[in-house]
Amino acid sequence: MAFEPLLTRNIHREGSESIDAYLASGGYQGLRRVLKEFTPEKFVEEVKTSGLRGRGGAGFPTGMKWGFLPKGREKPRYLCVNADESEPGTFKDRLLIEKDPHLVLEGIIASAYAIECNLAFFYIRGEFHQGCRTFEKAIAEARARGFLGKNILGSGFDLEIIVYRGAGAYICGEETALLESLEGKRGYPRIKPPFPAVVGLYGCPTIINNVETLANVTLIAERGSAWFAGIGRPPKNTGPKLFCISGHVKRPGVYEAPLGIPFLELLNERAGGMLHPSRPLKAAVPGGSSMKILPASKCDVLLDFDSLAAAGTSLGSAGGMVMDTGTCIVGALLNLARFYAHESCGQCTPCREGTGWLVKILSRLERGDGRPEDVGLLADIAFRIEGNTVCPFGEAIAWPVDSYVKAFREEFEDHARRKACPMRAAAGA
Amino acid sequence: MSDPQSLQPRLSPPPHQPNVPAPGAAPVPGAAPAIPPTGPDEVALLIDDRPVVVRKGATVLQAAEKAGILVPHYCYHPGISIAGNCRMCLVEIEKMPKLQIGCATAAAPGMVVRTSNDRVKGVRAGIQEFLLINHPLDCPICDQAGECRLQSYEKDYGRGFSRFAEEKVHFPKRYDIGRSVLFDAERCIKCTRCIRFCDEVSKSHELALFSRGDHTIVGAFPGRPLDNLYSGCTVDVCPVGALTWKPFRFKARVWFLKNVPSVCAGCARGCNVNVATFRNRIHRMTPRVNADVNDYWMCDAGRQSYETLYARPRLEQPIVRPLPALPGAPEGPRPPAEADSPWDGALDRAAALLREVARTGGRDSLAAIVSARLSLEDLYVAKRVLGDLAGIPRLAIPSHEEGEDDHLLIRRDKTPNGRGAELLGLGAPSSSRVREILDDVASGRVKGVVVVGEDLLALPGIAPPLLDRLEALVVIDWWKSPTVERAHVALPSCGYGEFDGTVVNFQGRAQRLRAALRPPGEADPAWRILRDLGRRFGLANEYASAPSVFDEIAVKVPAFAGLTFRALGDAGAPVSGAAAPRSAGAPRAGA
Repeated sequence: MAFEPLLTRNIHREGSESIDAYLASGGYQGLRRVLKEFTPEKFVEEVKTSGLRGRGGAGFPTGMKWGFLPKGREKPRYLCVNADESEPGTFKDRLLIEKDPHLVLEGIIASAYAIECNLAFFYIRGEFHQGCRTFEKAIAEARARGFLGKNILGSGFDLEIIVYRGAGAYICGEETALLESLEGKRGYPRIKPPFPAVVGLYGCPTIINNVETLANVTLIAERGSAWFAGIGRPPKNTGPKLFCISGHVKRPGVYEAPLGIPFLELLNERAGGMLHPSRPLKAAVPGGSSMKILPASKCDVLLDFDSLAAAGTSLGSAGGMVMDTGTCIVGALLNLARFYAHESCGQCTPCREGTGWLVKILSRLERGDGRPEDVGLLADIAFRIEGNTVCPFGEAIAWPVDSYVKAFREEFEDHARRKACPMRAAAGA
Repeated sequence: MSDPQSLQPRLSPPPHQPNVPAPGAAPVPGAAPAIPPTGPDEVALLIDDRPVVVRKGATVLQAAEKAGILVPHYCYHPGISIAGNCRMCLVEIEKMPKLQIGCATAAAPGMVVRTSNDRVKGVRAGIQEFLLINHPLDCPICDQAGECRLQSYEKDYGRGFSRFAEEKVHFPKRYDIGRSVLFDAERCIKCTRCIRFCDEVSKSHELALFSRGDHTIVGAFPGRPLDNLYSGCTVDVCPVGALTWKPFRFKARVWFLKNVPSVCAGCARGCNVNVATFRNRIHRMTPRVNADVNDYWMCDAGRQSYETLYARPRLEQPIVRPLPALPGAPEGPRPPAEADSPWDGALDRAAALLREVARTGGRDSLAAIVSARLSLEDLYVAKRVLGDLAGIPRLAIPSHEEGEDDHLLIRRDKTPNGRGAELLGLGAPSSSRVREILDDVASGRVKGVVVVGEDLLALPGIAPPLLDRLEALVVIDWWKSPTVERAHVALPSCGYGEFDGTVVNFQGRAQRLRAALRPPGEADPAWRILRDLGRRFGLANEYASAPSVFDEIAVKVPAFAGLTFRALGDAGAPVSGAAAPRSAGAPRAGA
């Protein structure tokens, strides 16, 4: 059966962000079905059965996460939508928010119903001006049509959604830092446990889901868990997925495909292959900038959670970045390290001090002041950071450094030995 | 809040103390360590093969402390919330793939913890290295040298050399962050203890972190410097030399300081303090942990209260002046004092003056005004000598109140021993009783007054001519107050930090003041001066020392029954039947 793209089915239509366009494509039918046919508990089971794993990066099973909510109802429950997408190379959530906000909204409403939440927060990256306006308009439209507010579609279920614009910090995409930011505090990750499902926003049980995850909930509501579980590579890698691809490719962009599509198919057939025919693939980061790099020789992989884990990297946010042979790996890592050093929230010692140190060493290597021992030092600093930080940001810099150095050690050593960047030297720079 | 069980893990061992096996806690070689049975509210776990039982809710770090194992830490402070940001306390816990921070991980039944295997040691050395890469390493001029955790931990856990060859991140130095506190941003390790203190304890919220990554900096909000009433506590909690207390900067190296455990005499709270002296001079006062009184804190006013010792001229020798001019004589310049007199002559003169007034005007023409700033021993001997032996019928204690009780430690009552005076049967400090005496001085009914530890001319509405009406003014005080300058006999007593004694705080807790300094000149504790005066009125060979006075109080005053001077120890003890209401205890963070 041919794969039918559903997450992106509307995005090329004129006025795709309006509720009329969405309703014309059969929108909100899934929500009607959920409210009519499912109790909240049954819909949680439905999502569990679908095998949906979170699309924000960690790939945690969504239904299982919902199941961690405490049974009692002493406190209100909240749903927080993580729309703070800001990983370099990842731009899929923004597409959904701007082009098909009702697909996301429908998933939010169905998910809120499942977890018995009456107030949801849409935490959107501050720089997403258009996305913010579009989503606020979508909320108003949905409320006007009875999909939000009191007694949604006559079901007795109430839901309000508050749009909250972040101040533009990468760390606020980390779920507990997002909660801190939402509470009006500095965006610092919280120590876990307790996990947000137990103690979350304002101390109440809270579920935090990524935009794309919730869009997938809409599809499950619409077509059922069996349909969803039949896409991709069951049982653990089910459903459609948005893959970003950027770098040295002809057609960078967002492509929808079933989980498990071969990376080379995404690269060559969807993204049009390498940008410069004379420069073949040197390396790729299939999962987004915080994931481990794969040299070209290892790029024949399937794009799903388990296949990429077996290949020594991760699917992450599926923000594939492609580098051709004209790329200086040291320079690429320096570029990345600069980003992470700039975005390190500064809360815990290894990340705060380590990221800056990495940038300084990489800068020296790149400008020709490197020392032979710098290569080992880079790997050792990454090792000291990894696993010892408050949040996964530590891994977000440690994994790239470790994997870039491991995969391209000679290139780093060459920089140190020659006291110059060989590529810039060759280019006469 | 005074549950000793809850206190147990809060008392941190000094940070530089290397791990030593707790007596009897080391495992038997070859034997499998056993996890002991526990009560319903207890948890048993193994830390470095040592079985430990702690209360439920205790953290791994606290459990380790109980087992005598130091888990190094910077950001953890038992008096404020847990931040878990320094990562120095990472430990290995069986079945957990990543190392876990000991400060925030709750001890669980059967947990097996390793605090010093190679993995943990490697990470600690790494954290140390990270903390030092941008640190200025200016120990030779840093005021925290000798009590800096970076120094201590580097010695115990560090790599010993640096692999950092880069330019350090530079921040402002000697930044005036508040009235009394200087900030060196380059030394700061961003543990956020100071910020959390201002948020949770002083609740003044002046400080915050600004910027990100290795450019993160602690700062005060514009136009709102660190000027809360407890700003000095931010210096205490700073584990490195980033925040320094201006009055102490460059005054002395800490290893030269002698710390004497004592009590602040700034108000009726009686915060437990360490009085740090060098070359017979107090250089700083810092809070001493007492969960029942002040927890970990003290106010800035108390911290600087010792400065009056050096700001006022001291009375170092007994002074005897000529007899006063006859009542009604025109005012004029006071005659010069006689040459310094020996104690015997001065005490003889004081006794003679009081007798003469009693003889000519009757006992009712005598009165005494003693201070609630005096120790319990001073007050007791004053009562015995002045009241019982000299027969002075009226003894009043002025009250000194200023401001309001605050949410944390500060009390409106600025006397350290008002409650003690009350318990001794002297009555509560009362300005009206003092006023009555002074009115009687004005009307001529009172002609002789003994003043101990008070400057009558500092009381509102009292002018020097009033004292000139007296035929006998005997003053015992530690400084040359305006009242002393008008006294017929002035006897030098010890100032703060110069005598042993006891005070009872507003909660009814008896606590010991300890002598930390040699008194100047011929100054003596007030109780001893009063005792010697008492001998002129027939006092037998009693009261050899402050402890002997206290022990007599314990025998003769029912409220103090069962206490002994020695048993008060460093933490003090509640006086029987004098317990304060629950709300009067030391406030806690977040309370």
